[in-house]
Amino acid sequence: MTDRRRQARVPGFLVPLWALCVLTPSAASAQHEMHGMTMEGGWRMVPMDMSMPMLPGLENAVPVVGPFLPGMGMDPSMLPEARPSEMVPMADGDTLDVSVSMVRRTIDGHEMVMFGYNQQYPGPLLQAPRDATIVVRVRNEIQMPTTIHWHGVRLENRFDGVPGVTQEAIEQGESFTYEVHVPDAGMYWYHPHVREDVQQDLGLFGNLLVTSPDPDYYGPAHREEVFVLDDMLMDEQGALPWGDSAPTHALMGRFGNVMMVNGETDYRLTAQKGEVVRFYLTNVANSRTFNVTFGGAKVKVVASDVSRFEREQWVGSVVIAPAERYVVDVRFDEPGEVVIANTIQAINHFRGEFYPHVDTLSMVSVSDEPAESSVSEAFDTLREHADVVGDVESFRSFFGQAPDYELETTVRVRDLHQSIVLSMEADTLYVPPMEWNDAMPMMNWLSTGEQVTWILKDRETGAENGEIDWSFDVGDVVKIRIFNTPDSFHPMNHPIHVHGQRFLVLSMDGVESENLVWKDTAIVPVGSEMDLLIDMSNPGEWMIHCHIAEHLHAGMMFSFTVGAERP
Amino acid sequence: METIVLLTALLGAPAGLSAVSAEAASPVPVCASAGPEYYAFELFTTRNVPGTGLAEARAELEVSGGSPFSITLGPDGSYVYDVSVSLDRMKAPRTGHLVAWATTPDIDQVERLGTLDEQLRTSGQVRWNKFLVVVTWESEDDPEATMWKGPVAFRGMSRSGMMHTMVGHGALQQENCAAYGYGN
Repeated sequence: MTDRRRQARVPGFLVPLWALCVLTPSAASAQHEMHGMTMEGGWRMVPMDMSMPMLPGLENAVPVVGPFLPGMGMDPSMLPEARPSEMVPMADGDTLDVSVSMVRRTIDGHEMVMFGYNQQYPGPLLQAPRDATIVVRVRNEIQMPTTIHWHGVRLENRFDGVPGVTQEAIEQGESFTYEVHVPDAGMYWYHPHVREDVQQDLGLFGNLLVTSPDPDYYGPAHREEVFVLDDMLMDEQGALPWGDSAPTHALMGRFGNVMMVNGETDYRLTAQKGEVVRFYLTNVANSRTFNVTFGGAKVKVVASDVSRFEREQWVGSVVIAPAERYVVDVRFDEPGEVVIANTIQAINHFRGEFYPHVDTLSMVSVSDEPAESSVSEAFDTLREHADVVGDVESFRSFFGQAPDYELETTVRVRDLHQSIVLSMEADTLYVPPMEWNDAMPMMNWLSTGEQVTWILKDRETGAENGEIDWSFDVGDVVKIRIFNTPDSFHPMNHPIHVHGQRFLVLSMDGVESENLVWKDTAIVPVGSEMDLLIDMSNPGEWMIHCHIAEHLHAGMMFSFTVGAERP
Repeated sequence: METIVLLTALLGAPAGLSAVSAEAASPVPVCASAGPEYYAFELFTTRNVPGTGLAEARAELEVSGGSPFSITLGPDGSYVYDVSVSLDRMKAPRTGHLVAWATTPDIDQVERLGTLDEQLRTSGQVRWNKFLVVVTWESEDDPEATMWKGPVAFRGMSRSGMMHTMVGHGALQQENCAAYGYGN
């Protein structure tokens, strides 16, 4: 990217003060006249609340990178129509061929070119028994290089799917064979580790359900449902283009404005009165953390990323950050319509206020016909998982140790539009612990991976991101403290993901967790300090990174090594 | 957030200068405290209660623990905060009780946080995103009270109150300022 190009894409003027002083609401609306029109370089202006005036100088601004849409100029009707995900039961040693290709999808009435694994959305739901090794032969047929990362699976390092670390990216027309050993029961997922902000958003994700040999692993439920939560940023023409050489939305990540469950905007279920439905929730969104509510239905959380909780627990909602998984049992007691929703307090910066916001994710029609009663009654009992308690107990002697390493998160920006910089600096007098909505769509869109660097910083050495050099051995139990610095240019919550290992969240802000679960991804709210205890059980070179796709691409990652077990 | 127009931004922006580096201006003085205390805020005396004129009062917030999700939310998506209230540089009153309350900005809902102890500390839980903390001087210590009766000794607003409204006044005013309340 040349300076000339950068300058050309950012208008070099600001609205004079006198113009603002006479600005009327109608004039403010007129600032949005570029919506729906093709702007410089082929961009379309990001969707936003049209009733709000725009920051001066940004009216015609576009990101400093070029726009990218897959199959640009291609007739979507020439592509195969993607179909819903199919379950693929796999036994130990089974092989599955997976193609990565362009597909035709229709979302919210817009026919678009997207990507798919085996032409499905989400990708095939793989199911394998614990301790199996399944073989997945991946052939890349899209123009971008890709890989598959087996998120949360403690598999052999060379199959972790990180380009430049564990393998070379799979170029178009090439193949790679993954041998995926699954040592832990639970719900996992797979996705690319190349430009996740684009490839994942375009449909490259799928679940891997690892079943336990114990038929009583989870409590009784009438049935199970897989819910892959996602959002997509769209305007009246379809998906808003992504950045070509680097992501847009590098400050907050790309929040979508169209919500989807399993790739559909109107996903509906039926249930009988008293029916207990087990939901396997996975958040595959680039940046959005969902607060999932189930109407008035009773909900208990059973498991998360890599294990069950020590104890089942009643919850009012499920907070699920990008890449996290939760298993929840829900009993639908009352006949009628139940809305499964994302229920949040969004922020309106223009008014300086929070406002309630509800996105319908799915509807459940509950009939009068009663479900089989013994399962409904068993739901009232909260189970304790003795094997999880025992497993956690064997690590308890490490809980009190001083942190082995301390990380802090921060951000550095350069060459952002002056209006953005000045407004951001002034507006961070208060930053919420979590960003539930994109309250600054224009500024966020204009910030790219070329201008924003998100940072994981080793507090002791000062090393940042790839400079961090940590080495461990198998058998080490390592406490890491992560502090989400509030006094940065733009503080934001970060879902931190550790590859190839499992960890416990011991405490948040010094408050000890009372009900532990093995995780691979956990949220650190702004201003909070989280203590993780990582069980270094798997040798190799592994990543730690923020799972907001745009933050990852903007540098917020490093790798550490785990050597073979000490003699 | 792009809707926030700053007078300083406008006055300080020479024509033709469109991009600046935050690195050049660093360190950016964004907030005064760090860590869990980031959400702490000062309570200011009203000088309506004897002995409180020189006191220092503070409310500290932590996103409540105990959730399986790293963060605790109420049913409407509001944060659930553990609030600790402390008074210093003053003595406990010889008569009556100091009681801490949380209330919405419009004071249409009130929650009793607790009676301050001999060390002039108490704690409670708040399920709003934007709220006021008020310490009042009560003649009776009534745990069931739903509203204060005595004079307000200290008051302060959550850090979220620092979000600035542009809709009710200023160059971008869209509504009559007088008709616009504190918001949520």
